[in-house]
Amino acid sequence: MEHPILFVSLLLEKLGLPVPHGLVGHTLLEKLVSPHMTYTWLLMLFLIIVPKLTMGSKLTLVPSKSQNFWEVIIGGLEEFMTENMGKDGARMMFPMIATFALYILVANLVGLMPGFMSPTSNLNITLGCTLIVFVTTHILGLKYHGLGYVKHFLGPMPWLIPLMLPIEIVSHLARILSLSIRLFGNIMAKEVLLAILFMLAGAYFAPLPILVLGVLVSVVQAGVFVLLSVIYFSGAMEHAH
Amino acid sequence: MPENRKEIMKLLADFGTIGMAVAFSIFIGVGIGYFLDNKVFGGRTRPWFTLIFLGVGVAAAFKNLYMMTKRKDL
Repeated sequence: MEHPILFVSLLLEKLGLPVPHGLVGHTLLEKLVSPHMTYTWLLMLFLIIVPKLTMGSKLTLVPSKSQNFWEVIIGGLEEFMTENMGKDGARMMFPMIATFALYILVANLVGLMPGFMSPTSNLNITLGCTLIVFVTTHILGLKYHGLGYVKHFLGPMPWLIPLMLPIEIVSHLARILSLSIRLFGNIMAKEVLLAILFMLAGAYFAPLPILVLGVLVSVVQAGVFVLLSVIYFSGAMEHAH
Repeated sequence: MPENRKEIMKLLADFGTIGMAVAFSIFIGVGIGYFLDNKVFGGRTRPWFTLIFLGVGVAAAFKNLYMMTKRKDL
């Protein structure tokens, strides 16, 4: 399913770059200019430039309007993480989680504007985010428990080990699937539904209710991704049950 | 956001993922079994690893449900 008009892709096509018409191209250059990549870069630029512009270079003790806005977002995120992971864990993991939160939130919401698409409606992007979370979980576990981290996989009793080990491995692998496919599925459903409704009855504002629901879905899914990664991290950091 | 609402959102996100955890556990189990049968052993052990790991996947799914019932913070 292709989005009707993607203006970054159109611009790149005018520049003579081979923008693929399917989801992903074949050559390296086609892969680099495929829509989800170019829109990810656009969002990265957005997330770097806009806070710089709105906040200015120095922070003041009495916050200005824009500084207040960012303080609410960042402060709220950090408070939420401190509740779940403790102060030290929140301090350590804050840059990564905040990056995921802001990136996924903006990436979900940008698909609501005509001419843009959500990079998160491509499984490759969400799978990338999920694999980072998955690997970080186990690195955190190894860091906090050393080799004793294996106990997380062995269950409560020694004679249950042959049964519990495959079960635990399977349920850890299922986290990759559920975390990535949930985000991808929700956002792609939103995008496809909007495109279809726009094609069928765009002149009669048929996509409008789905746009409203799209805002809700975008915020909720970004929140769920962050919440679940924080829960996985804190699960790896605490002692085996 | 009031404290109660926040707690409810957290629980909603937690319990809203049960269905997915169950479904994907089973899929991962079948996937591992299928891979062992057809790629590692070349089809000589055809139905058995798939069936065994299907059982493991179902067990993992039920273990997830069981852990949910054992939570102390509700």
